[in-house]
Amino acid sequence: MKKAVVLTLFVGWIAIASVSRAAESNAENYLLHCSGCHGADGRGVPGVTPSLHGIAELLERPGGRAYLGRVPGVAQAALDDRKLAALLNWVLTEFSQHSADPPYSGKEMHRLRKNPLRDTVSGRPTQASTKE
Amino acid sequence: MTRLDAWWEERARRLARNAGRRTFLARMGTLLVGGTALPLLPVARAYGEGKKSARVPAPAEGFDGPAGDPKRCEYWRHCAIDGFACACCGGSATTCPPGTEVSPVTWVGTCRNPADGKDYLISYNDCCGKAFCGRCPCNRNEGERPDYHWYRNNDINWCAGARSQVYNCSLAVVIGQATEAQPEK
Ligand code: HEC
Repeated sequence: MKKAVVLTLFVGWIAIASVSRAAESNAENYLLHCSGCHGADGRGVPGVTPSLHGIAELLERPGGRAYLGRVPGVAQAALDDRKLAALLNWVLTEFSQHSADPPYSGKEMHRLRKNPLRDTVSGRPTQASTKE
Repeated sequence: MTRLDAWWEERARRLARNAGRRTFLARMGTLLVGGTALPLLPVARAYGEGKKSARVPAPAEGFDGPAGDPKRCEYWRHCAIDGFACACCGGSATTCPPGTEVSPVTWVGTCRNPADGKDYLISYNDCCGKAFCGRCPCNRNEGERPDYHWYRNNDINWCAGARSQVYNCSLAVVIGQATEAQPEK
């Protein structure tokens, strides 16, 4: 257990250390506003927070694009619309290697976050009929 | 079911099992959604100080005065703390007291190091597993820094990700350098 924690600490540090200065501030905003719950590596905590890896798949589902802007952790982040849109675009490419097409704009984010999801379980777009 | 949905399936099962009990998620759901005073969610996990990494310059430490003393609320990293400083509880600013474990979810703020004048991202991980420490209760909310304490008022238990949900004290771990000081607006 202890070893695992130490390792996490170390790996976490490396992840952070590699946030280069030039890398815009999306990486920094992620650390400040999201990583606490989803982890610096975006992998979430079982039973507590979902992983952000692969979430681009949600964009393919009906209502998925709106969902990503309305999920409470996103909608209520203490960032202005433009920075939040940039951060969400960054999260998509960073953890899903996919970008939204077109990318989220500040304007779209403004609209979506005004109406945060109340019930994320029933508000989450379900998968289309095909199984993986 | 895709991997993407696995967490949600598990969550649904949990919620069903714990129906009636106010779980972390149930609370968080309500909380995150509720309210006009949209809270800030600056949180990060337990990443330690990079003892081994030289890539991020370490903040200056060990200077004189209360701002250099982890056992004081005035300690520079405690600028946005709300809880008991672990250094007063048998641990340090970066290690949990014996018998407790660090929570995997946490909240993050920025503090300026008075010795080098730079801003750092500070993660206030809770140590969980023993009844609360009671020493060095610190609650700083300086300047225009936004209020990071809403979640305690709102009864979120950040020890939820740990095996034991009993709050003991809070660390103040430097997780990186900040290019901008909080607040965002
Ligand atoms: C306070 C903890 C917390 C913070 C901070 C947080 N989230 Fe979340 N996030 C959650 C939880 C819990 C869920 C599960 C849905 C729910 O109940 O809100 C979630 C769900 C999500 C989802 C949906 C994932 C899925 O599979 O449906 C996305 C995307 C997301 N968060 C992105 C972010 C981003 C981006 C940030 C930073 C701007 C962020 N979150 C900040 C806790 C958090």
